[in-house]
Amino acid sequence: MELNTASEAISFSRELEGKSAKFYGSLAQKYVSGKEEFLSFARENDKNITQVQRAYYGVISDAIEGCFSFKGIDTDNYSIETKLPEGVSYADALRMAVAVEGKIVKFYMDAAEVSKSLMADVPRAFERVAKKRNERILKLKALVKEN
Amino acid sequence: MALLEEPIKGVPVIKNYIAGEWVESKGELKDVVNPAKMETIAKVPISTKEEIDAAVEAAQQAFPDWRRTTPLARVRCLFRLKELLEEQFEDCSKIQTQEHGKTIDESRGESRRGIENVEVATGIPSLMMGYNLEDIASGIDEYLVRQPLGVFGVIGPFNFPFMIPLWSAPYAVATGNTVVVKPSSEVPLSQRKIAELVDEAGFPPGVYNLVNGGRTVVNGMLDHPDIKGISFVGSTPTGRDVIYKRCGETGKRVIAQCGAKNYMVIMPDCNVQRTIPALMTSFFGNTGQRCLSGTVLCVVGDDAFYNRFLNDVADTASKIKVGYGLDESTQMGPVRDAKKKAKILGYIEDGIKAGAKFRLDGRKPTNLVGDYPDTCFLNPTILENVTPDMRVAQEEIFGPVMSVIRAKNLDEAIDMANSTSFGNGHAIFTSNGKDARQFQYDIISGNVGINIGIVAPMAFFPFSGMKDSFFGVLHTQGKEAVRFFTESKVVIQRWL
Repeated sequence: MELNTASEAISFSRELEGKSAKFYGSLAQKYVSGKEEFLSFARENDKNITQVQRAYYGVISDAIEGCFSFKGIDTDNYSIETKLPEGVSYADALRMAVAVEGKIVKFYMDAAEVSKSLMADVPRAFERVAKKRNERILKLKALVKEN
Repeated sequence: MALLEEPIKGVPVIKNYIAGEWVESKGELKDVVNPAKMETIAKVPISTKEEIDAAVEAAQQAFPDWRRTTPLARVRCLFRLKELLEEQFEDCSKIQTQEHGKTIDESRGESRRGIENVEVATGIPSLMMGYNLEDIASGIDEYLVRQPLGVFGVIGPFNFPFMIPLWSAPYAVATGNTVVVKPSSEVPLSQRKIAELVDEAGFPPGVYNLVNGGRTVVNGMLDHPDIKGISFVGSTPTGRDVIYKRCGETGKRVIAQCGAKNYMVIMPDCNVQRTIPALMTSFFGNTGQRCLSGTVLCVVGDDAFYNRFLNDVADTASKIKVGYGLDESTQMGPVRDAKKKAKILGYIEDGIKAGAKFRLDGRKPTNLVGDYPDTCFLNPTILENVTPDMRVAQEEIFGPVMSVIRAKNLDEAIDMANSTSFGNGHAIFTSNGKDARQFQYDIISGNVGINIGIVAPMAFFPFSGMKDSFFGVLHTQGKEAVRFFTESKVVIQRWL
């Protein structure tokens, strides 16, 4: 589904953060060794939502192109698989997490790019979250190596 | 995307807020209709002369104590109001969409812009300061203080039900005046919400009053000897021939912000990619129902540029998703009511009869998404071959209609824009600084855009206007609002 409006983009980011938080919740339950890390990721997701929403609600104005600012973003390109298959190994679950993060980073970077001309705070918030998630990918990859 | 939840449930009967109490009106009730669903969502009273008189009396009684309340204590009420508005931001925004029809992004933008005025008004302890000079003569000092005047009336329009009364009311009360607010009877729910939050914020009774209604309330304000001034936003005929005239006759201060016919001048060196979204918002945002909307697209340039540019504009406009504003994917909502839609259609037909041609015929809302009655919906319309003498190039349509005119050069474009009777929010799109400067220098417009489609001044700047777009001297918002709501008193003193 193609996004049209700023409101849709913010809702979609909320959806991605919520889904991936749930995913890390289930990883934490299943794999005790990475529990703390996974739970911290889930907590960070909540902060990401707050950060993005704060930026949007702080700068949205009747005069900006809020209804025309996210052209070219198709949610189908960022769909994430968060259901752990039966009997999945820890290493494969971590690889799944890397894939999830990769998609979410791509969404934030693309959304930051298309909204750049409109309101500085929103693309900046997107970029900040993408940066944090890139750091998360490095941590996840390190865990994959360890396992 | 799912539909956001509607905050207004059932069909509440709206009351007036007078002297800190919610009071039932004796006036007849009128339906408030959600224009997307054509459902009655509330009943609004058309209040009586006695009721507006009671509100002014309450405001007059509250004035002496409020005036003597320290500016710091007054703005603490505003700080609390600001907090409550932030807490209720989403509900305030959804109410606007439900009662007016605009998209949720537009409503949130309106909420933000409204709240910014409350924020600026909290700076009153600094903004209201006078000035002084020692020794204007031997041993003599002179200073100026700003004092509140009394009761002010604030009359809001239908197109920005939440924000526009906030261009005035926060400054009025912060400077020590008291107010009576009259929202448009078509969209009274946003102001009811604000009055609820005013009540919660702890303003003393009578400082802020809300009276719903129509002409009786407006005339009651205009004729009341205790009302010191009126801040009005609405149409030019009402602003000029009723509000401004009557305020002159009764000796009241007045701000009358009125209609517009804004030219968007496109130079061939503009950044097309950045210009198109700005034009979409300018012409079709708020479904064209704003005094800062682009209404005439004036293209300078040869045939090749014109055809390429207009193709892009028409292609983007043709894809605009029309629907209920609480559906987050909607890019353009309905117009406020069927009568307004009929008026817009009348203008389109008039333009065609006068020789304009459809580039995009939006009379039938074929882009309507969702199962809604098409009563108030339109698609964007683009009319080509428009000439400056046509009504579609001269009069305010207040709908999603773009009239396209071609100009040989910038001089001609400026002349055309200046030939309209309005001067509210003309804009130029160019990458040439010299042309931009010439435009801002020569154009007769209170607000001027350079690569900006909606020239909406921030809360700390005045919302300006020229010619038939504005009647008065001082404007709403920021420092000018502070001056409007205060009297300058000069003291010259010598201690012997």
